[in-house]
Amino acid sequence: MLACLCAVLWHLPAVPAHNRTGDPGPGPSIQKTYDLTRYLEHQLRSLAGTYLNYLGPPFNEPDFNPPRLGAETLPRATVNLEVWRSLNDRLRLTQNYEAYSHLLCYLRGLNRQAATAELRRSLAHFCTSLQGLLGSIAGVMAALGYPLPQPLPGTEPTWTPGPAHSDFLQKMDDFWLLKELQTWLWRSAKDFNRLKKKMQPPAAAVTLHLEAHGF
Amino acid sequence: MALFAVFQTTYLLALLSLRTYESEVLSEPLPLTPESLKVSVNSTCQCLHLQWTVHSLAYHQELKMVFQIQISRFKTSNVIWVENYSTTVKQNQVLHWSWESELPLECAAHFIRMRSVVDDSRIPESGFWSNWSSWEEADAQNLLGHDPLFVFPKDKLVEEGSNVTICYVSRIHQDNISCYLEGVQIHGEQLDRSVTAFELKNVSFIRKKGTNVFCKMEQGGVLGGIVLFVSKVLQEPKDFSCETQDLKTLTCTWDPGSDTGLTKQPSQSYTLFESFSGKRTLCKHRNWCNWQVAQDSQETYNFTLLAENYLRKRSVSILFNLTQRVHPMTPYNLFPKNVGATNATMTWKVHSIGNNSTLLCQLELLTEEKVIQQHNVSIKVNGEYLLSELEPDTEYVARVRCAYTKHFWKWSEFISQKFNTAEAAPSEAPDVWRNMKMVSGHPTVSLFWKPLSKVHANGKILFYNVTVENLDKPSRLEVLSIPAPARSTELTLDQCSYQIHVTAHNSVGPSPASVIVVSGDPGNEEVEKGRVNGTEDGFSVSWKPQSGDATGYVVEWCDGPQDLPCVLQWKNLGPNTTSTVISSGAFRPGVRYNFRIYGISTKRMAHLLEKKAGYLEELAPSDNPQVVMSNLTSHSFTLSWKDYSTESQPGFIQGYHVYLKPKAGEQCHQAFEKTVLPEDSVCCKYTIDNPEQKTFVVENLQPESVYEFFVTPYTSVGEGPLDAFTKVTTPDEYSHILIRIILPMVFCVLIVMIICYLKSQWLKEKCYPDIPDPYKSSVLSLIKSKENPHLTIMNVNDCVPDAIEVINKPEGSKIQFLGTRKSLTETEFTKPAYLYLLPTEKNYSGPGPCICFENFTYNQAASDFASCGHFPVTPQAPPPQLGPLTSPENLLKALEQNYMNSLGEIPAGEANLNYVSQLASPTSGDKDSLPTNPPEPALCSEYKMQMAIPLGLASAPPRENSSLSSTTLLGQGEHCS
Repeated sequence: MLACLCAVLWHLPAVPAHNRTGDPGPGPSIQKTYDLTRYLEHQLRSLAGTYLNYLGPPFNEPDFNPPRLGAETLPRATVNLEVWRSLNDRLRLTQNYEAYSHLLCYLRGLNRQAATAELRRSLAHFCTSLQGLLGSIAGVMAALGYPLPQPLPGTEPTWTPGPAHSDFLQKMDDFWLLKELQTWLWRSAKDFNRLKKKMQPPAAAVTLHLEAHGF
Repeated sequence: MALFAVFQTTYLLALLSLRTYESEVLSEPLPLTPESLKVSVNSTCQCLHLQWTVHSLAYHQELKMVFQIQISRFKTSNVIWVENYSTTVKQNQVLHWSWESELPLECAAHFIRMRSVVDDSRIPESGFWSNWSSWEEADAQNLLGHDPLFVFPKDKLVEEGSNVTICYVSRIHQDNISCYLEGVQIHGEQLDRSVTAFELKNVSFIRKKGTNVFCKMEQGGVLGGIVLFVSKVLQEPKDFSCETQDLKTLTCTWDPGSDTGLTKQPSQSYTLFESFSGKRTLCKHRNWCNWQVAQDSQETYNFTLLAENYLRKRSVSILFNLTQRVHPMTPYNLFPKNVGATNATMTWKVHSIGNNSTLLCQLELLTEEKVIQQHNVSIKVNGEYLLSELEPDTEYVARVRCAYTKHFWKWSEFISQKFNTAEAAPSEAPDVWRNMKMVSGHPTVSLFWKPLSKVHANGKILFYNVTVENLDKPSRLEVLSIPAPARSTELTLDQCSYQIHVTAHNSVGPSPASVIVVSGDPGNEEVEKGRVNGTEDGFSVSWKPQSGDATGYVVEWCDGPQDLPCVLQWKNLGPNTTSTVISSGAFRPGVRYNFRIYGISTKRMAHLLEKKAGYLEELAPSDNPQVVMSNLTSHSFTLSWKDYSTESQPGFIQGYHVYLKPKAGEQCHQAFEKTVLPEDSVCCKYTIDNPEQKTFVVENLQPESVYEFFVTPYTSVGEGPLDAFTKVTTPDEYSHILIRIILPMVFCVLIVMIICYLKSQWLKEKCYPDIPDPYKSSVLSLIKSKENPHLTIMNVNDCVPDAIEVINKPEGSKIQFLGTRKSLTETEFTKPAYLYLLPTEKNYSGPGPCICFENFTYNQAASDFASCGHFPVTPQAPPPQLGPLTSPENLLKALEQNYMNSLGEIPAGEANLNYVSQLASPTSGDKDSLPTNPPEPALCSEYKMQMAIPLGLASAPPRENSSLSSTTLLGQGEHCS
């Protein structure tokens, strides 16, 4: 028992400071970020339906799965499972932050090109929500003491079609943007769920406290 | 001379040169072959652009030439287009020609060549074609990348209704490439091994984001597509017009029509061009544009509005004079001034137009959204107008609009202002009517008045003044002030005549008075009653003119049905009127309305002239009378429905129909007519045409027959609802005779019974006399009188029984038991048993005969309970033990208890009723069984216990096993001999 107590005390400094000072720590903000990703998932489902109908068939067909031709600049959400598991918290959060930064820029470009006022309203609303998610991730990173990734100068992503970019390819890009966004929201939900579990107070400390009374 | 020499030399040189040119042109065929042919591809417009020169032309030479151009597709031999292009050619001029291909140029290689011919009239013999130029190839496929599948044309913009050719180029030669237009597969024509074309005819607009056409290979997931932007045809602007509000700025407006709003194509643009000034402006808005009027006093303008998009241009023009297109601005500052009850002054201002321009303004006055006055006023800047003939206390709307006086073009917009005129005293007396009645013996007049119409009230009525003046004797005027909106009041008067003045007051003053004279005696005038017919318009009421001094008439009625409280209505009519139509929205069909017509005398007193009743529309009766049948005989019965009120029916009751269903096979009586009911049953109908006749005797019926009758009233519309018939059976013809016999017989029997009852004592003595009681014997009194105390009557307790007869007596066999001894011996249960309790001196060989007396004057139940026995039953002590009881124990106990109690309550003398009769003769038994010692009381006598018991106990039904058996009584210490 004594050895166990010593081991726990030895590892205590590794626990972030907020756990020891009674501060709720990043737990609630991680939970809120997780909730926000789930809310955005729900919101995106409605928006994507409207937007893909606006693009017309085949983009609004349920089994449409085009090759990813012109959407190379989009941040990819899919990652090998082992790689994902091996990510540390900082890298995990940084990837999320960078991905949503890019996706938000693209979405704003999409909003500018939308032809109907209703669609522009929906996109603007979603952009505001996504901006909130970005702020929430930044809050979690700040709480954990991680710096925010700095955008490289001159690499501001744009979503304006080039001269050789046909309208059909542009539609494909729009399709892929929404699809990647959805995948990122799924991934983020998993990321923040994992982070949430990790940030929960260690059960060993509670056990130790009870056992101390027993002595 | 030198000058002449120079001129001559120059002329000769020129002539020489001309001769040289002519010799060159005319002497040999001109080698004017197109050279330096270059072909370029413009994918945006799907055009082949050609440029070339004709080098062979001499300096300054300018010739009309024709170039024949051949275009082949895929291979040079496949010529798909030949066209002659005529133009004037100069030396070293680069010529251009374009050709738009239906098939996207990226889908096929094109080959172009040309030749030329001089087509100039100055050279008559020049009609020889040059040689063909070499083929030039235009292959846009070379510009494509390495993708396996391409679809063309990319992002083409076309007009709705046009035909479009689409093609795909496949790098991989596969057959399983399918193409779709908006998700629907399309089929095309294969032009080459790797090229297939699809022709889309009459394309239509689908969405702003364009129509999707895509092709995909079944294997590999290769996908290619295009977006075809289909624009709606640009419409010509409609209703194009220009006008000015201030002669400084022209505003031109038009209806642009629909806009496709494609993302590929911006909205159509509008340009305004004025031809006289040559100025042009690009409009910022799609349906209006401003044009600054020049200061150079230009009066006439010729505007052209040009609408254009990427595909088409449309224009429309107008020519006008500026001063004829003046549309003044809306006037402002419209206010009422000095508003009175009947007039008001309106003031307003207008924006000036130019210098000293006059405007024609139109002032309109409205009330309840209707224009009631219209005035035209010419003004420069400030307008003012006095409106008169207004109604007091009325809301008006004044509105003003103006137009340019010099050339009327359009009215300006209206400016409106509401205002209310002031109040004035009511202009008309209220319409007053009265209703006379007696309340607690006092004549009471109810005064009613109608609220003044808005036209006559001239303001809000605050109260009504009622002034009562006694006409018969001078007295002080009585004034009542009744606040509005009351519409009635009640006055209690005496027998005098009174003149009543009613005035309505608003904030300004009173109205003229309405005068009515009433007499304290309401009177019961009997007047003529009549009927009035209702129509769609109402009731047309007429009356006989009153001879003499009638100053008018009043028709009075109640709006509601008779069974509801009367809402008194009246109508004033002039002295020369003898008819009127009374209409009201409250009138309903099937409701009787009563009208009273009054004549108004010169003294303002009303006299009832006539009474009328009528229906707006008569209906059939809604219910049938409650018919009472009486006087039923074998041949007739009487029906009556005297409670049926004809007044409250939905129509004038004209009579009644009596329906009678005769028995089968019987014909209708002569007075009845045969009729068929709705349910197809046949019956007889009798019609009573007098509504007041409410009885009817149905006669000529058959005895002992069933008849069914039914009575219903009828109006001019029809009869009442068909209800259920009531059955009646006529009695037997002789039944009354039987009644005459039976009744007296019953009476006689009753008399006999009463006599019997009264003589019951006598009967008792005659039929069943009481058993003599020794204690009550007169002999006893004689003995006592002789003062012989030793003489007593033997007590039954003194006797010593020598035998007890135990009788097991089942219930129900008592009569048998009593009546026939033989039956007792035959039945085991009823066989008596004898116990010998005390030994006798002499042997007693068997039971002796028993005699049982029964006193029928006692309760039967008590007798049952006591049973027969040779012993007295002592009530003081209960039996020490009870034998087996088959009856319920509770009942037995109750029986015992009651029994004890009853005996306990019995007086001593009565308790001694339990006795053995001393009159029982020992010789009454069987002589053969007599004991040898006659003095010994060998014989037993059977007694019935004689006792009085409570009725309650007596009434309890004795059960078979509830009687005490003899065995249970063995414990008793008393014995009876």
